[in-house]
Amino acid sequence: MRIHSKLVGLWVVGLLLASPAQAMNIFACEPEWAALARELAPDANISSATTAYQDPHFVQARPSLIAKLRRADLFICSGSELEIGWLPALQMRANNPAIRDGQPGAFYAAEQVERLDVQEQVDRSMGDVHAGGNPHVHWSPSRIASIAKALAARLQQLDGEHAALYQQRLDDFLMRWQQHIGQLSAQAKPLKGTAVVAYHTSYRYLFDWLNIEQVGDLEPKPGLPPSSGHLASLVSLQQQQPFALIIFSDYHDDKGANWLATKTGVPAMRLAYSVDPNKPEMQDLFALYQSVIEQLLQSVSAHD
Amino acid sequence: MRFIPTMLATAVATSIFSVAVTAQEQDAVQQQDKSLINISAILNAGFTSRDNDFEGIGALPVDGDHAGGPEDGFWLDHTELALSGAVDDMFYGKLTVVLEEHDDSTEVEIEEAFVQTMGMPYGLSVRAGRFLSNVGYLNSKHAHTDSFVDRPIAYRGLLGRHYYDDGVRLNWVAPTDIYVELGAEAFAGGQYPASSGDTVGSQVAYAKFGGDISDSTSWQAGLAWLRTDNDPNECSSHDHDEEEDHDEHEHEVVEFCDFDGDKDFYVADLVFKWAPGGNYKYESLTWQTEWIQADEDGRIAHEEHDEDHDDHEEEGEWEAFDAKNTGWYTSLVYQWSPNWSAGVRYSEIDVDAAYDEHEYKPKAYDAMIQYNHSHFSSLRLQFTRDESIDGEEDDVISLQYTMAIGDHGAHTF
Repeated sequence: MRIHSKLVGLWVVGLLLASPAQAMNIFACEPEWAALARELAPDANISSATTAYQDPHFVQARPSLIAKLRRADLFICSGSELEIGWLPALQMRANNPAIRDGQPGAFYAAEQVERLDVQEQVDRSMGDVHAGGNPHVHWSPSRIASIAKALAARLQQLDGEHAALYQQRLDDFLMRWQQHIGQLSAQAKPLKGTAVVAYHTSYRYLFDWLNIEQVGDLEPKPGLPPSSGHLASLVSLQQQQPFALIIFSDYHDDKGANWLATKTGVPAMRLAYSVDPNKPEMQDLFALYQSVIEQLLQSVSAHD
Repeated sequence: MRFIPTMLATAVATSIFSVAVTAQEQDAVQQQDKSLINISAILNAGFTSRDNDFEGIGALPVDGDHAGGPEDGFWLDHTELALSGAVDDMFYGKLTVVLEEHDDSTEVEIEEAFVQTMGMPYGLSVRAGRFLSNVGYLNSKHAHTDSFVDRPIAYRGLLGRHYYDDGVRLNWVAPTDIYVELGAEAFAGGQYPASSGDTVGSQVAYAKFGGDISDSTSWQAGLAWLRTDNDPNECSSHDHDEEEDHDEHEHEVVEFCDFDGDKDFYVADLVFKWAPGGNYKYESLTWQTEWIQADEDGRIAHEEHDEDHDDHEEEGEWEAFDAKNTGWYTSLVYQWSPNWSAGVRYSEIDVDAAYDEHEYKPKAYDAMIQYNHSHFSSLRLQFTRDESIDGEEDDVISLQYTMAIGDHGAHTF
């Protein structure tokens, strides 16, 4: 009911502003981009194809998503092959010329910024490697700022009438973001140099920002689930190169991490991966960053 | 005084120009990320142990090429090579070539060679060329995405493994919350199960619906109607067993090419998929079921054995023929880890008395277990209790691998 009255409220506000254009329909592939869109275009109809608890590599190109993409004026996806298993099937079946690749309605966030781990040569024996570089860019504060700028420019292009409004919201967002990140960076100083083992390279950019070193991966190869042989090799890695934490994300299975934790005595920790509007501690990008850094700090200080 | 504005203008122009160049460079980088043509190959082979090779499905007018399951021994089936990509900003194109082995000869089939519009307004799209018809749920899917070694008996006995043909499709996706797609197809009618002499030999109308019940559960339903006809003059059956079996014909058997008349296929399908929280990586459940009715209305060439039948095809006697065969299948597949899944399936066909006075119901029970090393490789062990033929209960065991190399396209729901 709350959502309903909110929507009605938005609609009334829209009428009062006498805006002849309908609210923009924005299709976000992942909740982090829906959250960024809400910062810049709070009046738009924004939906997310996935939740914070779904592996964005493994999403079904389900009918409801075709219906949503059919009406979208803009999609915001990570790109860099993160959605290669499902987004092209949706684009193909949505019969919407506005959101074809190359059109203003197609916005790939990771492709607006420089990516880490871009591969010169990729072959499948290396696992599920993204040749274009790591797509999990929403864990880089500076890249979030760049993406916000590019997204605001895209919104201005699509909805020129409200260009000034998007600029204003962007400026406001960037100011708050810079301030928030400044605080968090200072808070996160004790994390510098921490060695961790993590599940997949989901937090590649977070570790890059905080100078956390990922010395091992629970996956034997990107995209392959932890095997017992590989986990055993991580037990011996602990002797050569001690790590302080085993990290896995909300959408990962905890079995491998817990097994390694009992064998090594190193704590395993589930970290939030993306935005969940229903949980205050994950409701937007600000809260998400804050709670993850607090969680990391707690476990490191508990360990000391 | 004059050169200050000039300098300013130059500076502005330079900065605009440099911005433009950066944007162009970025575009170039993005272009490099996406290659112009996607090439993929599907390698599919296996080993099957069974007592009897394909002898038909009940008394239905089918042949091994279109209706057979895996044969005894080692086999290489449905090796697929596909090329696809954007033609320009308006069209997308795809070519799929399938290599199949039948009776020691390799057959090359063009399964798909179509172009599709990418820029039509109002949710419309046109596809033209050769493509898999949207009649039914499994029909439009490539065999390598199936969860079982062979298509269910209801498909093989009525529609064939799949119906593709040369023609055109127009479809429309509704701008609604619930997914609604309406489509119409017109085909030459030259591919099994069509065998028409008309200019436009078959027509399809279909509707697809779908949505989410929760984050965890999604569904899709479809209704389709395929109308085609059989013209004995256009017909060629691939029935390799015809000669050997001829002596066994105690009573008259209606062959595929004996029938002259209209065929209507009605297909209803329903699919549910479930994964905890919608996270399909570790656990999921898929239930799918389809119901197919094949309605035949026309006449058959009636062979009078005791008469002189030199030219019976021209002058022979025709007898009114009317049959309604109904088949269905249902399957449940459970995936409990990124690597493992297992499933069961049941399928049967209600054969009309016009074909079989005993009305024997061909049926098959399947159980399979599958190991996926990655998203691109799978190994499957399947057990089938095949009761296609009255009195022959065949226990079939198949071990199969399906692997994809190259740019493997995204899968549909």
